[in-house]
Amino acid sequence: MAWGGWGGGGGMFGGRATAAGLPFGGIPSELMGGATKILETEPVHPPSAIAFTQRPNAKERERLTLPRLLRAYPGYVVAGSTLVILTSLVMQVGPLLTEYAINNGMGGSHLHVVGHRSLTIIAICSMFYLVSAFVSVYLQRLQVDVTGRLSSRVMHDLRIRVFTHFQRLSLDFFTEEKAGVLMSRMTSDIENLQQLIQDGISSFAMQGLTMIVITAILFKLNVVLAAWTILLIVPLLFVLSVWFHHASEKGYLLVRDRIANVLADLSESLYGIRVVTANNRQPRNIRNHRHVVGAYRDSNLYTGRVNAIYGPATIMIGILGQGLLLAIGGHMVLTHKLSLGALAAFFLYLNRFFSPIQLLVQQYTSLQQGRSSIIRLRELVETPPSVDEVENASALPTIEGRITFEHVSFGYLPGKTVLHDVTLEIAPGESVAFVGPTGAGKSTMAKLANRFYDPTEGRVLLDGIDIRTVTLRSLRSQLGVVPQEAFLFAGSIRTNLSFGRTGITDEEIEEAIDMVGLRELVERLPQGLDTEVHERGQTLAAGERQLLALARAFLARPRILILDEATSSLDLRSETVIERALDRLLEGRSAILIAHRLTTAQRADRIVVIDHGGIVEMGTPKELLKAGGAYAAMYNAWLASGGRDSTKG
Amino acid sequence: MALSLSPSPAPGEGGESANPLGGVFSKYEGPRKQILRDRSLQWWRRVLPVIASHRLTFLTAIALSFVSLILQTLIPNLLNGAIDRGLKHASVLHHDVVLILIIGVLTGISGIVSRQYLFYTAYNVEADLRSLIYEHLTWLSFSFYDRVQSGQLISRANSDIRSVQAYSTFAPLIIVQCLGGVLAFIFMLVISPLLAVIALTVMPILYFVGIKMRRVMFPISWIIQSRLADVATIVDENVNGVRVVKSFAQEEAEINRLADTAERVAWSYIKDAQIRGTWSPWVQNLPQLGLALVLFFGGWMVLQGTLGVGAILAFNLYLLMLQAPFMMLGQLVMMGQRARASAERIFEILDENPDIVERPGAIDLPLVKGVIRFDHVRFEYDNGAEILSDFDARIEPGETVAIVGRTGSGKSTVARLLTRFYDVSGGAVTIDGHDVRDVTLESLRASVGVVLDEPFLFSISIFENIAYGRPDATFEEVQSAARAANADEFIVKLSEGYDTVVGERGYTLSGGQRQRIAIARTLLVNPPILILDDATSAIDVHIEAGIYEALTRLLRQRTTIVIAHRISTIALASRVILLDEGRVVATGTHEELLATSPLYVQVLAQTKPEKP
Repeated sequence: MAWGGWGGGGGMFGGRATAAGLPFGGIPSELMGGATKILETEPVHPPSAIAFTQRPNAKERERLTLPRLLRAYPGYVVAGSTLVILTSLVMQVGPLLTEYAINNGMGGSHLHVVGHRSLTIIAICSMFYLVSAFVSVYLQRLQVDVTGRLSSRVMHDLRIRVFTHFQRLSLDFFTEEKAGVLMSRMTSDIENLQQLIQDGISSFAMQGLTMIVITAILFKLNVVLAAWTILLIVPLLFVLSVWFHHASEKGYLLVRDRIANVLADLSESLYGIRVVTANNRQPRNIRNHRHVVGAYRDSNLYTGRVNAIYGPATIMIGILGQGLLLAIGGHMVLTHKLSLGALAAFFLYLNRFFSPIQLLVQQYTSLQQGRSSIIRLRELVETPPSVDEVENASALPTIEGRITFEHVSFGYLPGKTVLHDVTLEIAPGESVAFVGPTGAGKSTMAKLANRFYDPTEGRVLLDGIDIRTVTLRSLRSQLGVVPQEAFLFAGSIRTNLSFGRTGITDEEIEEAIDMVGLRELVERLPQGLDTEVHERGQTLAAGERQLLALARAFLARPRILILDEATSSLDLRSETVIERALDRLLEGRSAILIAHRLTTAQRADRIVVIDHGGIVEMGTPKELLKAGGAYAAMYNAWLASGGRDSTKG
Repeated sequence: MALSLSPSPAPGEGGESANPLGGVFSKYEGPRKQILRDRSLQWWRRVLPVIASHRLTFLTAIALSFVSLILQTLIPNLLNGAIDRGLKHASVLHHDVVLILIIGVLTGISGIVSRQYLFYTAYNVEADLRSLIYEHLTWLSFSFYDRVQSGQLISRANSDIRSVQAYSTFAPLIIVQCLGGVLAFIFMLVISPLLAVIALTVMPILYFVGIKMRRVMFPISWIIQSRLADVATIVDENVNGVRVVKSFAQEEAEINRLADTAERVAWSYIKDAQIRGTWSPWVQNLPQLGLALVLFFGGWMVLQGTLGVGAILAFNLYLLMLQAPFMMLGQLVMMGQRARASAERIFEILDENPDIVERPGAIDLPLVKGVIRFDHVRFEYDNGAEILSDFDARIEPGETVAIVGRTGSGKSTVARLLTRFYDVSGGAVTIDGHDVRDVTLESLRASVGVVLDEPFLFSISIFENIAYGRPDATFEEVQSAARAANADEFIVKLSEGYDTVVGERGYTLSGGQRQRIAIARTLLVNPPILILDDATSAIDVHIEAGIYEALTRLLRQRTTIVIAHRISTIALASRVILLDEGRVVATGTHEELLATSPLYVQVLAQTKPEKP
């Protein structure tokens, strides 16, 4: 079995997520047996069938809190709590048995009453002690199992919920928020919570319960002394805990933010590695990263300092408390208000009272980490998408393809309009080329048509329907956009081509490959269509990636096609192939072609010249050339710089 | 080190600077030691030098926590003593109480100081590991990046470091606690050697359970970590490919893809819990088993009259002291195995050697005249696809050459070989007679400026993006580079001009605007050799003409390679090299090739336009 690859190929560790056959690492050979044995027990997970709606349902609109997340699994929660209670009770059986055996078997302070019966009592007590230990083992085993299941299910839900929300968010979120931030929400924050639910809460509860049980026993032993214990220790612990709570919450939030910065810096460096290398920036970036890591370390050191005080300080309070109780209890003994044996027993239990505190402190830290994670996650899922569906949006029926921009104004930033009062109608089946200088707003028009953004004023209509009234999915599945930068997912060429629509057949893929002129490439690659590609892999040239992106859009069979500078990296020959393919593709479809290569524009039914946020000129290519306006000037400049003249021939 | 209680700057005050790459000022100086390269060593041995570089704080921490523990261990004895002596006199009692209070304070202080140092060490080790990985990644070659997804790398630099760090904070604490256990055992031996041995007869079980746990925990830890990386990869892809996902309305498919992967994570965590549940309760309850034995045998000894009842109490107290370390011991083994799996995954990155390394004794490339020679260059990618078979060309100083060929013909590869992003598989690339493999990488890349076909911008200000290769550049220099690239006019119109921070990967700018900034970035470095790799594809003709006007002025003094499809761009070159099937098929001026090479004509083929 092949263990090749990060996260393992061969479908053992990864699914479609990993590109198989990446010769990097894998599982150490000595582990293979163990890992295979474990994986053999893995059932075939049924494929997920989660329905995505842009509008969150009632459950997803609920505030994200830990109790709410847990509430989805009442069975596990009840079972877990029961087991926790049982375990903490069983754990206290031992000392009671010891006390009983000492008092009744060994005669306690009356050492003269010994005999055969005593040994029986001791033996029986020991037996029960032993049994209680085994019962406790069994209970803990069940409890680990239950909390393990609970935490895994809850985290699974949370991963899907956060990721679903992430899919709902609009593009502006992705341009503003750094990738590293989203990454750390989906990874470290959720992993923090996993740890919390798995071990934290149950052992928190168990230690807390133990303390309560022991407090009860203390009161039973001697009310006055027990009251003193509570009076001396609890207020101090309380004050200390409140301080710790505030100090560490601040600290952990800071840690969450700074780790996100570390990841953002790392991720940017990885994506920009070519620019970094080309500019000899490595030493400087390393220094830079040290600052970011250093800031993260400093926030960690802060929480470390808070923790370092809290833990030992509770120990100190415990010891000081015992000292004072010795003084109080001792005086009670001296004044004959308390027996010596009772004082001894009291201290025995007092020790059992203090030892869970240390574990509590540790769990408290993970509780705090979990809290700060859930705060950050809640912020994310409560971020509203700026482009959203209206309540009960209807599905856009299959459209003919009439696109209407009605007095549309838009700006990415308030006060900076990119488009100003644009009105344009594109008839079904018509292809329209947007031309104009970079930054004039051509791409913005396309982004408004598929609702990557919403206009600040005016409306965009498809077949007379305001696109804000329909579901995003029904809208976008009828629009095919080919962007300038062709992003490919990790996976084979085949999976990338099948991305746009379910049920794409191999024949269709072959046909698309021929149509965009990639036959030669596919034949050159050793594994053909099954060659693995991924986002930054350099095996494919930029032009080849664009051709794949075109083929991907072809295969999605959209009603309206938008090519946003989609042919910029193509050599002329490929462009020619594409242009021929376009003729076929555009048949019966409306299209928006954004290109500065005016050959493409010349093929359109109509040309719209966009500049300074508005339409400057509009007409068929012939009309515009004849009119001698802005387009004619652009065309002539382009011809002069060596462009192909498509008006001749 | 400072033990003050304020982070720098104070938390919650948002003291971070606006520049996300700059971060806040930290005194952190970076790692002092590397991990050991010897792969045969155990994982903790390999990390040891990094930990040892903080040995002063680390050893102080361990020593002080041991002191704190000894002090703590004295308490039960003192209490028992006080009770045993029967509390005859108030003065004796007061003496004992005062002693306990003093010890209590000392325990607290030594505990606080020791943990300060312990956390200080742990978080510095974590920061060191993070820096080491980053630094190593920075120097790795592109062939590595071609085959490894960044989601994988990010996950290893995050989840895996976290698990190593959690262990390195936790483990010393537990070890100290266990030392406390040893102390407790010594006290027990003093009271009754026989009973002490009996109480600890259960300990060997611990050993076997430990071995068994390690054997089963390590593989499941590995599985968990690698599946977490799968999740990270999907998230990373969806962040970067968000436009594609949204355009095709494939959100649902992506969510289900994540859900499937998350399901596998969930299963592996459940499996992990099952395995842990099988073993760790035994470890946790061993002291209880010991106590049961003590009760029976101790009771028997009491009945025999060889032991006092007080001893049973003392044993109870001491075994109780073992309870806490034992509770954590199970967790320690689990975390240890996870840390080991994670460390191995981190080592996988650190063990990757860059393919492109400087030769020992590499010289700085002397002031470049600019004679570039591709001497029968052959190149193939790792996957075996041959890109260049026998590329042979010479470019004279000051010459501007266009490399023309079909998509996928290997044009960009030529640029990547000249900058030594990759090494040739055969033949050689020389500049002024120096093989690029014989000169230092820094001097080579400072001499050869390349504008890449992907205009990648960082989320920093436009000024910083242009000054990326020369961070010390003045505003005037940046501005004049921007003017030459025709970028100044749109930059000044942005809300904050040159200080505008571009969004993630520059997506707030249009493709053409990004390309112009990328050109300005390279022009600012002013390299003697310039490569424009399809660098103006998204810029409209009008502006391109302006850029070339500026470039022709600038290009006069330098050797330039232009990789392009547009005739307007090719026109800039004094000579054209036509590339096909990995070799030069023709060379000459544009006009000459048009006249002589049918392939050239075909590559630049004029289509007969169908009438609109």
